[in-house]
Amino acid sequence: MNSIALNIALPLLTAFLLPIMSPHVSSFGRWIGPLVLAAMLLFSFQHFQALDAPEMVALGGFLPPMGISFHIDHLALLMLMAIPLLLLMMWPYGKTKSREEALMLLLAAAASGMALSGDLFNIYVFYELLSVASFGLAAANRTAGAFAASFRYVVISSLGTVLALTGIALIYTQTGTLNLAHIGALANQLQNPVSYTAFTLIVIGVGVKAELFPVNSWVPEVYATATARVTAIFAGLVSKLAVLVIVRMLVVAYGGSDVMNILLVLGMLGILTGELAAWRAQDLRRMFAFSSIGQLGMVLVAFSIPGKAGIIAGIAMMFHHLLVKPALFLFTDQWSGNLNRLSGIGKKSPMAVALFLLFALSLIGIPPLPGFWAKLLLVTGLVGTASPLYLTALFVLLTATVIETHYLMRVAKVMIAGEQKSSPSRFLELGILNITLISIFAAGLVLIVLNLTSVSDQLALIADETSNRMLYIGTSYPELTNTLGVK
Amino acid sequence: MSSLDILLLVSLITAIISGIGQNLRFIGWVNSALLILQLIILMFMGSLGYGGDIIHSAMNFDVLNQPLSWRYDAVSWFFALITLGSAIASALFSAGAWGDDFRTQGGKPGLLQFSLSLNVFAMLLLLGSGDLISLFVGWELVSWAGLLLMVFAGGKSAETGIRYIVYATAGAMAVLAGLAYVFHLTGSFSYESLANTSESLSILQITSLSLLFVFGFGVKMGLLPFHLWQAGAYAETPGPASSFLGAISSRMGLYAILIVIIQLIGILRLVAVEVPYTFLSLRDLLMWVAAFTIIFPTFTALRQNDARRLLAWHGIGQGGYMLMGILLLDPFGSAGGLMHVFNHATYQAALFLSVSAVIYRTRTSDLNQLGGLVTRMPLSFLVMLVGIIGLAGIPPMNGFVSKWLIYRALLVEGMPLLFVATVIGTLGTILSVYKLLHNTFLGQLRLEHEHVREVSWSMLAPMLIFATLVFMTGFMPGLVLDWVASAQVAMNIPPLEHTLGGVESSYGSLDMIWICGVLFGGFGVGALLFYSGNPAKRVHQLDNYAGGHFLTADTRYHYSNNFYAGLMHHIGGWYRGTFAWLEASLISIMGLISGSAQNLYLSFHPALYALITASLALYFLVG
Repeated sequence: MNSIALNIALPLLTAFLLPIMSPHVSSFGRWIGPLVLAAMLLFSFQHFQALDAPEMVALGGFLPPMGISFHIDHLALLMLMAIPLLLLMMWPYGKTKSREEALMLLLAAAASGMALSGDLFNIYVFYELLSVASFGLAAANRTAGAFAASFRYVVISSLGTVLALTGIALIYTQTGTLNLAHIGALANQLQNPVSYTAFTLIVIGVGVKAELFPVNSWVPEVYATATARVTAIFAGLVSKLAVLVIVRMLVVAYGGSDVMNILLVLGMLGILTGELAAWRAQDLRRMFAFSSIGQLGMVLVAFSIPGKAGIIAGIAMMFHHLLVKPALFLFTDQWSGNLNRLSGIGKKSPMAVALFLLFALSLIGIPPLPGFWAKLLLVTGLVGTASPLYLTALFVLLTATVIETHYLMRVAKVMIAGEQKSSPSRFLELGILNITLISIFAAGLVLIVLNLTSVSDQLALIADETSNRMLYIGTSYPELTNTLGVK
Repeated sequence: MSSLDILLLVSLITAIISGIGQNLRFIGWVNSALLILQLIILMFMGSLGYGGDIIHSAMNFDVLNQPLSWRYDAVSWFFALITLGSAIASALFSAGAWGDDFRTQGGKPGLLQFSLSLNVFAMLLLLGSGDLISLFVGWELVSWAGLLLMVFAGGKSAETGIRYIVYATAGAMAVLAGLAYVFHLTGSFSYESLANTSESLSILQITSLSLLFVFGFGVKMGLLPFHLWQAGAYAETPGPASSFLGAISSRMGLYAILIVIIQLIGILRLVAVEVPYTFLSLRDLLMWVAAFTIIFPTFTALRQNDARRLLAWHGIGQGGYMLMGILLLDPFGSAGGLMHVFNHATYQAALFLSVSAVIYRTRTSDLNQLGGLVTRMPLSFLVMLVGIIGLAGIPPMNGFVSKWLIYRALLVEGMPLLFVATVIGTLGTILSVYKLLHNTFLGQLRLEHEHVREVSWSMLAPMLIFATLVFMTGFMPGLVLDWVASAQVAMNIPPLEHTLGGVESSYGSLDMIWICGVLFGGFGVGALLFYSGNPAKRVHQLDNYAGGHFLTADTRYHYSNNFYAGLMHHIGGWYRGTFAWLEASLISIMGLISGSAQNLYLSFHPALYALITASLALYFLVG
């Protein structure tokens, strides 16, 4: 058996062991969790190093369409590395709550499963698992607000999963299979209203986690009430996994069809409403929550561009957001509440504010920071389609960037130029752990800037691989390719 | 490693040093010295100013399979010269007594020095860009470095800075869209591919490209209607910073327009585009935008009561002259436009520094709170006098030469209406700079200013040097016209036939050496008459009589409030504040929409949304 399955099995097993062991060995959770995550990181890194071309792993040797198969390509492995890395950074160190630790590991397992799965049913199962873990995490700090927000999350999320399941069922009625590669091979049977409906239902269902407009109304409240770490995980990681599902479906079966317009329009509305609401937000947490709705809208708009241009722009935007937003949410760990509380904080902790500015500028897309190159890809992609709807999206995107600049700089102004509060409150200090984590993210940004050439080459390779429909089908379902004679 | 690499490297090192050593007392001197070193390196590249070959940088790399490269030609060199000159003036001015004073008031002169050198680095990088991507990278760096220079002192400047950066980002986004459009049309970001395909682009493509770029770059120039941010942003920052900003910062917009519109797309393509429902071509339209950019801000300047704001508003108006000259494209007009960049930088720096000197001594730039300082600060007065003559475009200062070239071109090219527009602008300029000089230095001395002294030499030296430049390049415009002609050649425009004293061409001639000779001859005769008469009786400045009555020093008879009351009686009704009103409306509309966007998220029927969307999407697909 391929060790990549350990990335799912190990955290899953540990997650179930934790509640059993913790009462007996009190320190169990404290070291086992990070250890498992580190192991996951190691496995996925090894695979990433070793992988030349995409490969398929059939669990237990049962081949598709009956068996469970994993599709392993560079994009999946990149996500697979990002999962333990981000969770390691956001791990609740120093708090001995085995429940939270177990949920984190569950999340890691489910997320890895989603990134790897090559068939819709498993994706659905892991998606549900992910949902359960995230409900728990959203309410983990056990405040009234958090419970209320997660209830809202549960309601909308369960509706979403029902929609998604309906969509999956519809696809099954059309093709008789749930294996993505198989579906891809039968894509010509999918160009009908029923299967478009199915795709739409899946997009809206999965879109709950991808912060898709308008099923994202849980986002501001959950992000504002959950702990900063959990928020960082949701905004950075969970949303990207949901996007990944949509991307896989687009690539194998729905690329170039009309349904992309749905993504485009919803993404556009997400950008518009998200950024506008962020513009009005009065506290940092909600501002970033709304801004992440806007950013996810940009990612979806990017993926709605037909062809490779869309995939490369989308991947770039996606990973940029994954790098920047968690760091920004970490700031809100202490810097929450009304913006005016931050007045003059720049005089007290100039380094923290400087780091904040770095992320803010990258989010806006100021060259030479990575955000700019991602945005450049997106803009050229949109212009390249030369269709009115996409040009509207371009206009929305550019306007949103101006709005983004305004509210982020307004925050910077309060921090730097605001009157310093007479009694500097100690709880505004970010703490050594947060600063270290933020610095790691910042180092990541700087490293990318320093290696722009090679990073952009890598990105182009991954986009090539991801957008290659035949490669996906051929890898995950070789016999089928032979029998159908598709190359 | 070429000399360009050395220049950029030294510039970067300067920024780093002044950043690290911000808190050192003597950092101002170090920074000035390093900036001068950069100027010297630029001088070694001086062949560019006299028709030398393009200097390429060894620095280049690929991003997303697009090569980025840097190079200097005559245009870059010309702008770099002005940039470094203005920066040195500001750095020197603030290095000595001014910086110490600023520090005692709680300011950070080191941060000012750092921002200056950072701006210089960003600008030098922008000026060297060798393709559209590096142009955009440089452009954004300049924008954000400019923000730092505007807001580093905090306070009120933070508000104007935010307004600036919103406008600047809007402009940058337009440029980004233009860039992507170029990529779509030509498949590359290189200058050559755009220049080569420009001929084959359709009218619609040319129009949208030109508008995107002119709007985007024009924001930085304060082109109408995107000018509202500039005066506040340039005026609210401490003196030497506003001097640098006013002298060169917004010219980066002009440089970018030169590159993209003139060099790459080509003005002739713009002439071919008809604006629907009018008899104008796209170029004419832009020239009218330039004309209104001259008129409106200049007359807004007339109403300012703050010396720095008055100058800043003029900075916007003068940008209009430059753009208009360059859009003319003939040897005269483009030379006028380019030379005006140099001229404007010299007199604007001198003027801002002299106003800063006055602020340094009196702590105010309110034109209603000053007056009579001529005997207290005679050299500052001289600098301002020279500066305003340059700004107003009156001989013998350099501003006259460039404006003369533009006027001449407008007449030769047969554009009398635009000529009238520029003359109206010049009229407004003369009126308002007189107000500046009069209210600051002439008339009644205020009691509280009785003991004001001239500023120290560390501040006077850059002021005097720049005032001298204003005169010398007016006296011998050929010095600058050499560089201008090289820049014209680099832009494929026929160069201006010039001499040391001015222009020698079949379309018109100008010899400033003669004009100055006659002028100073006249002055000499006048002076002879004056000094050969009865010796004047010296009285103390506060010793005043009116109608035989002794006026005590606290009686205000100096007419400075509501200075042009008579004129305003006639034209006051024209000031409607339309642009400010438009901006305010836009903001309130945004407030309204964003409020509903937020409500959408905070209301409690998420599942309903999901259902509605699902049904709508299904309707769209199936129905």
